[in-house]
Order: sequence, then structure tokens, then C-alpha cells
Amino acid sequence: MTKPDGSVPPTDPFEVWRQIYDANERAWSAALEKVMDEPAFAEQSGKLLETFLSAQKSVRDNMRQYLEAVNLPTREDIARLGELVVGIEEKIDQLDDRLAAIDEALRRPAADGAE
Amino acid sequence: MTDPATSPWQSAEAVWTSSERAVEMVRAIAGAPEALVGQTPKDLVWRKNKARLYRYRRDVPATRRTPIFLVLPLINRAYILDLRPGASFVEYLLGEGHDVFLLDWGIPGDEDRAIDLTTLITRYLPRAATAARRAAGSDRLTVLGYCIGGVLATCFTALNPDVARNLVLLTTPIDFSDAGQFGRMTARGTFPVDRLAETYPVVPGLLPDIGTKLLSPLQSTVGTYARLWDRLADPAFDVSAWQAMYRWVNESVPFVGAAYRQWIVEFYQDNRLARGTLEIDGRPVRLADIRCPVLNVAATADRIAPRSTTSAITRLIGSDDRSEELVEGGHVGIVVGRTASRDLWPRVGTWLGQHD
Repeated sequence: MTKPDGSVPPTDPFEVWRQIYDANERAWSAALEKVMDEPAFAEQSGKLLETFLSAQKSVRDNMRQYLEAVNLPTREDIARLGELVVGIEEKIDQLDDRLAAIDEALRRPAADGAE
Repeated sequence: MTDPATSPWQSAEAVWTSSERAVEMVRAIAGAPEALVGQTPKDLVWRKNKARLYRYRRDVPATRRTPIFLVLPLINRAYILDLRPGASFVEYLLGEGHDVFLLDWGIPGDEDRAIDLTTLITRYLPRAATAARRAAGSDRLTVLGYCIGGVLATCFTALNPDVARNLVLLTTPIDFSDAGQFGRMTARGTFPVDRLAETYPVVPGLLPDIGTKLLSPLQSTVGTYARLWDRLADPAFDVSAWQAMYRWVNESVPFVGAAYRQWIVEFYQDNRLARGTLEIDGRPVRLADIRCPVLNVAATADRIAPRSTTSAITRLIGSDDRSEELVEGGHVGIVVGRTASRDLWPRVGTWLGQHD
């Protein structure tokens, strides 16, 4: 069937999808962006996130209690071990910094004396 | 007589051709996680926890005096500046005769939950910069930061003015008094940042990613595939280039809860950096202490770091030598898009050449 403007409607479903998107994208985008730009949207999405986080926290707390009850290490226990390693690395870095500063201080008088 | 344009044969052929294209599209998407990225050869110079400092290999010695120290954002993979041959800012800088170092923050885990921005600015950045200076045998560096990496680079330069010969900022938000949609979404009383940091020691990368996608909800989702559909019809279309970019966009990095909380509260909500009230480890961060030459690059269509957030730096710093470049494109597009090699890179390259 030919449209009034003379063009032929596509029979290819992929092309139909593409044309629907082309025809509506600008209007839909503008409408969506307008909604999302509203302070009310930010407020609602904040509330939604808070609800999700409450549920997530409850799942995490329950899991931790369960693992503690069956004498298994929790995610926090394992993270704490890693944290200790990170802390030790920082201590070594601090010692390294001090050694570098002492080394530089020792070299400086020698260099000054050579001049 | 049957019209050839509407004949059943023609329709069947069109569907067949489209079906083939759909298969190609699925293949392109499925193969994206394996796309080759970050291929420029490099050597590890320094490491701390997950952070790595790399120095890119050069075939011939650098012809420029000042090494470049690239500071990347925390929430993206570092290979964005070295996406693939021909689409690599690092490759361009090497070609211009620079000695290039890149600081990759790595992927944090739960054990890093106490690492906030203060830790990164006072314990990671100074040591990485010292390692770069030692490796290059140079007293000073050109510190180049991108997005949040630019904010870290700015704070670091303000606190350590002797390290930077130059400071280059790419789409770096500094003044959050009008931070656009992100500002509204993260406003105090709206965004549950405390609850978020309390629930997640490390905030999943998906979360900031959703925030970014909400800036242009249709174009960043369905639009991605519609554009791929169109481009697959072009025999000259480079699928591997598309896959590399698609991989980067979808490989988000988690944000340490403590750092995320500090980012939202002290920068977005309190706007402490621009207001001059930011303190890092008890030391005030004064932008007026930045006295080295500064190049500030903003993007015309940047919705992540809109111009209202990026332009303040040029009036707040203490340097007399300050330039601003406005580049056509979006937050990521100006750095690695099709026009980057003609637009952003030469502009930065010319400026660096004048300030070596």
C-alpha cells in the first residue's frame, strides 16, 4: 500500500523498529529529560534509593548474623584482613619516605662539602 | 503488473538482509568485552595497594623536558586515554615527544573502605608523583587530570605547588554551585549518601553509571543500539572501534564508600573547593596557591561536568598564565571521539609545547 506522500511502508520488522525510534526519539527524549530534570524526580529517586538501601542493609545484616551463628567468616571479617595488609603497606611506605628523607639529608652535606 | 518496490520477493530480501545485520549487531555486542584496549606498551614504575603508575615506552628518548603525569577518574577504567591505536591520547602525546606517566587507581575492594579522597590526595598522589619524577629524572611534572582525576590533581597541585610545572584539566568540575542535574540528584536531603556509604563499603559502579545514563535516558540506552544498527549498514564501519568504546562505557568501576561520601558532601553539597573551605588532612586547599600555568578544557555538550562547574578554576587560581579551551562535543567524546585527534589533542599539544 502506498502512503499519501508516495512512500511505501516497510515490511521489514527491523526497519519498522528503526523508523518508530526515529519518529519518536526526539519527543520522547525531551519529555523524559524534562521529567528527570524536575526536583520532584530527584526527590522520588532519592526515596526509592533509600528504600532499596534499607532492604539491602537488612539482607546484609541477616547474612552476617547467619554466618556468625554457624562460625563462618563474614565478608567484613575477610575485608578486615585485607585492611590489615593495606595498613601494613602504608606503614612500609611511611618508613620508606623517612629513609628517603634521611638519605637525602645525608647526601646534601656531602655534596655541599664537595663544592 | 506488480510494483517491484512492494513485491513479496523484495520484502523477503529486505527482511533477510536486516536479519543478517541483526546477527552482526548481536555479535558486535557480545564480542565487546573482549575488545582490545590499552595496547600502547608500558612499564610499571610504582604501585600501592590497587593503584599503579605506568610509564609508556618510547622508541626514542623524549624531546620534551617536562614529563606528563596523567591522573584518571576513580569511577572509570584508565584505558580511556589509551583506548586503541589511532584513538589514543597517550599515543598522541608520545608522538609529540613527551615522557608519559599514567596513574591508574585500580578496582577497589571491601578492604579499601577507609580510603577516602584525603588518603588519595595525601598518601597516593605525592608518592606516585615522586616516583614519576625520579624515573624521569625531572624536578617538575605537567599534571594532567581528567574529570574527578582533575579535581584530585587540582587539590594535589594546590597543596604541593613545587611539583607541577603546568596543570592541565580536562572537563573538571570545580564549582558545584550550579551542577546541573547531578547537582539536583545529589542535593542534601534528597540523596541518601550516608545510608549509601553505610550499606556499601564500596559503592557498586552501576549506581553512578545509572546516574550518568539518566542524563540522557533514551540516547544512552536504545539510542546506542539504534546508532549501531545504522552504522552496520556502512561497509567502512570499524566494528572493533565501536566495541572498544562500548566495553569502556559498560566496564564501570566501584567507588569506595568513604571517598564517595566525601565527594558528594564536600564537593557537590558544600562546594568547599570553590568556596575555599576545603581542608585535606587539616590543611586548607586554596586554589589561589596554584601559581603554575593552567590550561582548562571544557566541552560544549558536557552534561556530566557542565561549563557552569568547570569554568570557575580560571578565576580562582593564583596563576597569571591561565587559558581556557572550549571544545565541541561531550564529556567523553572530546577526549576519545572521532574528532579528538583533530580538535582536543592538537590544542593541548600546542599548549604543552609552549609551556615545556
